[in-house]
Amino acid sequence: MINRNLAKVLSFRYKILALVLVLLAAGLVLLPKYVKHEGISPKELLSNAISPERYISTDELAHKIIEQDPSFLLIDVRDEESFKKFSLPYAINIPLKKLLDEESVNYLDQDEYDIILYSNDHFYADQAWIICNRLAFKNHRVLEGGVNEWFATIINPEKPTENMPRLAFDLYSYRKAASMYFGVAYPEQARPAVSTTNKTKKRRVTVRKKKKMAAEGGC
Amino acid sequence: MGPLIPNGFIPDEWNNIIAIIIGLAFGYILEASGFSSSRKLAGVFYGYDFVVLKVFFTAAVIAVIGIFYLDYLGYLDFNQLYIHPTYLWGAIIGGIIMGVGFVTGGFCPGTSVCGAAIGKIDAMVFILGILIGVFVFSELYTLFEPIYDGYFLGNQTLMDSLGVSPYWFIFIFTIIALVAFFVVDQIRKKVKKVFY
Amino acid sequence: MNTEHQNRHVYWNPYFGGFLLGLLIIFTFYMTGRGLGASGAMKSSVVAIVDKVAPTHAENNAYYSKYIDEDKSPLNTWLVFEAIGVLLGAFISGSLGGRIKLKVEHSPKITSRRRLWFALGGGVLFGLGAQIARGCTSGAALSGMAVLSTGGFITMMAIFGTGYVVAYFFRKNWI
Repeated sequence: MINRNLAKVLSFRYKILALVLVLLAAGLVLLPKYVKHEGISPKELLSNAISPERYISTDELAHKIIEQDPSFLLIDVRDEESFKKFSLPYAINIPLKKLLDEESVNYLDQDEYDIILYSNDHFYADQAWIICNRLAFKNHRVLEGGVNEWFATIINPEKPTENMPRLAFDLYSYRKAASMYFGVAYPEQARPAVSTTNKTKKRRVTVRKKKKMAAEGGC
Repeated sequence: MGPLIPNGFIPDEWNNIIAIIIGLAFGYILEASGFSSSRKLAGVFYGYDFVVLKVFFTAAVIAVIGIFYLDYLGYLDFNQLYIHPTYLWGAIIGGIIMGVGFVTGGFCPGTSVCGAAIGKIDAMVFILGILIGVFVFSELYTLFEPIYDGYFLGNQTLMDSLGVSPYWFIFIFTIIALVAFFVVDQIRKKVKKVFY
Repeated sequence: MNTEHQNRHVYWNPYFGGFLLGLLIIFTFYMTGRGLGASGAMKSSVVAIVDKVAPTHAENNAYYSKYIDEDKSPLNTWLVFEAIGVLLGAFISGSLGGRIKLKVEHSPKITSRRRLWFALGGGVLFGLGAQIARGCTSGAALSGMAVLSTGGFITMMAIFGTGYVVAYFFRKNWI
């Protein structure tokens, strides 16, 4: 009995296979079409954007620089002129307009370093951050407040008034120490020969090129 | 995501090892389907054996449907695949010459390698012929260059040149292939059997 | 009748073979982004031979020089490795099917010598055509069709169209 039923089905086997093939092809026609996005979905982007991880404070950055933390890249998204005038130590200049040049992408799209973007405030850096995140580049953060905040907190920290809590004094002394590291002279320290010009320290960063070869030909 | 090697998911060093594995499977499938026999291959032109047409079209239909599903689901980026370039007259003239070569020689390069592997002397001679053919082409390259490099239309797909939706095209292509399979079987019943 | 009986179950069902071949093409594109090929290996062999025998000539020739690389042998290409695989794969399949035998396959109406001359001629034409069209039946037609390449379809139609046109003149060789 089983054999006979099986034989009955098998006698239609080519028709069944043909039907399967037609259905598969028809599936391609009927499936809803959508526009493909490169990089991450808008939803993910939004959740990244509201995450507090997105910003790094100037104090944290100062700490990283002083500790000579090798794991981050500081990227200046301002134009070249401002970069030459003043920049944070070890920064690399990638102006916003050149953000997606092949050369810049090699720096931005890699997972060896954490990347910290900054501009004068954090407006342009945020724009760069959004673009990079949308393209699914990893480990990007923005320096909160940018260079302005850097000056206000690290280079020229505000002296706490006497009615402030002790924490504020701790922070002040930490910032003061940091600013001395970055070459600011304080009168009470009486160290005569320190120049206040910010020498831009350069760091050589070798970034491995991401391999992305074009597929090559047949015969 | 895919293709894996060009996107760096698998290191480039694996490329050649994967090539051998793919070649193994390719050779096995061709030989097991009977592509190592020249008389079986030539049958497609005389109507006594349509194995070439059946294997060829089934493979093309399955491959194109599979690739487009993978592309649709996001596993494979169609735009990164190698699209065979279209050199209009090169493709036509080359195809005509290959067509004559196919009927006279009874093999094509891939199948001749299979034939040679199982000891067909005619397949080995065919390979020798191909080597000579390539040699002749290279020596007379300046003569062939206008055809070889001319009439370049880019790495075009049918979507570019015909302006059709790929999905509809695949659907129609599938139906054509199925109709072809049916028709061929009818033809084969009418044609006198040839034993080989 | 005896021969037919012998032939009937020797080979795979063509649709099964085609199905597996289709999967293999998908796999190849998924892994490497390129299709299968065969004539490329023979081109590389010719380049390697000419480069060995007459290096200066090979360098001066516009076609060979495209494929000659200072630090890499012309044989060190993907397609050559693939062709080695084809050779092995076909040998394995042939030995499992008991088909390994040194012979010349031809119609009983013609001699072996005639068959071999025609095979040589066909090979020369195929080699020439495959260079002009930049690919053979596997590289251009099969892999081209899998990605809906216009050139692949044109080549495929040209090969089989011509095949049917000229088949009549060579019928004695085959049937």
